[in-house]
Amino acid sequence: MVLVLAIGDLHIPHRAPDLPAKFKSMLVPGKIQHILCTGNLCIKEVHDYLKSLCPDLHITRGEYDADARYPENKTLTIGQFKLGLCHGHQIIPWGDLDSLAMLQRQLDVDILVTGHTHQFKAYKHEAGVVINPGSATGAYSSITYDVNPSFVLMDIDGLRVVVYVYELIDGEVKVDKIDFKKTANTQSAH
Amino acid sequence: MVGKKKGVPEWLNSPLWSSNLSDDRRSSRYETITLSPEPSSPPPAPSRPEPSPSRPRLAGAQRSEIGAHSGELSPSWSSPEEESRESQLLADFQITLSSRIINLGELRRLAFQGIPHGVRPTAWKLLLGYLPLDRTLWAHELEKKQTQYHTFKDELLLYPSEITRRMEGSAGSKNEDLSCLGTGLLSRSKIIHGEHPLSLTKSSVWNQYFQEAEILEQIDRDVKRTHPDMEFFCGGSYLAKSNQEALRRILIIFAKLNPGVKYVQGMNEVLAPLFYVFRNDPDETNASHAEVDTFFCFVELLSMFRDNFCKQLDNSLVGIRSTIEKLSQLLKRHDEELWRQLEVITKVNPQFYAFRWITLLLTQDFKFSDCLRIWDTLFSDPEGPQETLLRICCAMLIFVRRRLLAVGFHCTTENYLTTWLQFPKVSRVELLRFIRVLFSDETSAHSSMGKLRWALISAYGAMSGCLLVSLGLLKGGSLLPNTKS
Repeated sequence: MVLVLAIGDLHIPHRAPDLPAKFKSMLVPGKIQHILCTGNLCIKEVHDYLKSLCPDLHITRGEYDADARYPENKTLTIGQFKLGLCHGHQIIPWGDLDSLAMLQRQLDVDILVTGHTHQFKAYKHEAGVVINPGSATGAYSSITYDVNPSFVLMDIDGLRVVVYVYELIDGEVKVDKIDFKKTANTQSAH
Repeated sequence: MVGKKKGVPEWLNSPLWSSNLSDDRRSSRYETITLSPEPSSPPPAPSRPEPSPSRPRLAGAQRSEIGAHSGELSPSWSSPEEESRESQLLADFQITLSSRIINLGELRRLAFQGIPHGVRPTAWKLLLGYLPLDRTLWAHELEKKQTQYHTFKDELLLYPSEITRRMEGSAGSKNEDLSCLGTGLLSRSKIIHGEHPLSLTKSSVWNQYFQEAEILEQIDRDVKRTHPDMEFFCGGSYLAKSNQEALRRILIIFAKLNPGVKYVQGMNEVLAPLFYVFRNDPDETNASHAEVDTFFCFVELLSMFRDNFCKQLDNSLVGIRSTIEKLSQLLKRHDEELWRQLEVITKVNPQFYAFRWITLLLTQDFKFSDCLRIWDTLFSDPEGPQETLLRICCAMLIFVRRRLLAVGFHCTTENYLTTWLQFPKVSRVELLRFIRVLFSDETSAHSSMGKLRWALISAYGAMSGCLLVSLGLLKGGSLLPNTKS
């Protein structure tokens, strides 16, 4: 049972001062084993904050990130799943499923986590699943109207994943979940 | 101890008891006197640890199969007469245990002398009240307990994700399958009862899980550290790992079922001998259910000592402090000089030594096999093991009295601690001789208990004075014959 936090597009301090208080109260250290951050934090302080939640932090570079040393994309294996991480501004059209699917096949991962659109989405296609945690601060985006703060927590347990979606709607935290599992590793790997 | 009516008998002051024979540092301080103490007290029935040897030497068949997986027990050493006594004791046990309704008093009496290895698991289960006295009910009881334990395992050892899945299972929901063809958005579903991993509500399964995580970690750590020298627990083998897993499960379930006490460091030490004994039961069926039996016996055992573990009760009438106080009073009654030395002159806080003895039931202070032997005696006490335990502790103190008294006024607590943390080892031959001397001089076994004691002493020749003393305290409350406490 591994808890993985997928979060990103905070745009602190340029477009938002901080995470919503209700999110902050829930994100306490000691519960989460990995953090996948899509990017656009943008400053070191946010990096430190995330690091304090969990020492295993993976970040990819967003176009506004102050630290230029983050990689463009990253892959890692957690339990039975291969996860990929990419900010998403590199994939055009932004947010297009087929293009993201191409990236997923390229990285050869079961779950691809991308951001940039500031909107939560969970797609499924033959190659796997694409998850967009949205923007944790609800920062302005040129391609999305009415951004709600959101992030994603994945509970990876063997071959099943339960994706918990946390959204702040009208000042209240709403949690939904998505259940899926993958078949045992076959030759095709998906 | 001149002129004291209820004082410590002279033989205790013999340097034999106070010097470690391999300890050159100290031996020079003591004059060697010949071993001819006044037989002023009938050394009561033996039950000394060190001679674990004499015990396992029973029916050869049993011994060899025990030997196979319990190499930790020391090799046997016994004379022919001891062997015959051993087999006599084993025969007695078998007779008692084969009757339809078991005579608990008789069992207790026999257990007091030490339980032969092969019979120990069953004897312990009876003494702890796990098995009913009526043999015919055993199968039924055992089955009941097994189902109960499996229910516990089922309910309590789950991860929160499994629990929530179960909750949904009853509500009926479907799973998306990654492999099925088709693209599109994954459907979102509602969460059950507001259960999500970051939930902060008290009733949330997840929240409880994280709060218990610390205890689970502690249990994990302690289980891995239990008896690192024993192959049974800490070997690299698959068996050792499964033993550790069993210990872990038992402790977790206990902690969850007893939120008042939860898990306290040291419980693993109390659990280890129980599990070891039950797992090494010569009867294969019993051994396979060792985990279940151990769990319930552990519960029984701890219920007698629960108050010692409960932090809130520390200062109360039943807590550990008052138990230590009782020990202190017991010591005062039996050996005033030593008591004064400890309490008044040097003001050593008894918590430094007594705490571990009492809460861990002496598991840390004697060899493992010896500890099993002591527990035989502890369990045989009809009034509950606490009284016996205190008397043994008191005896341990008196046993090293000479050393303690010699340490002197200026010495610090560390000296005291090093003194009694090193329990002296006395050569078996000398002990045996000593006992024979006492035996031959015994004149006043005025009670049947006394006679019994004598019989047992000769049966279990090799023992240390400590338990001689302790059993004196146990039975008559006094070390001298003809006096009542």
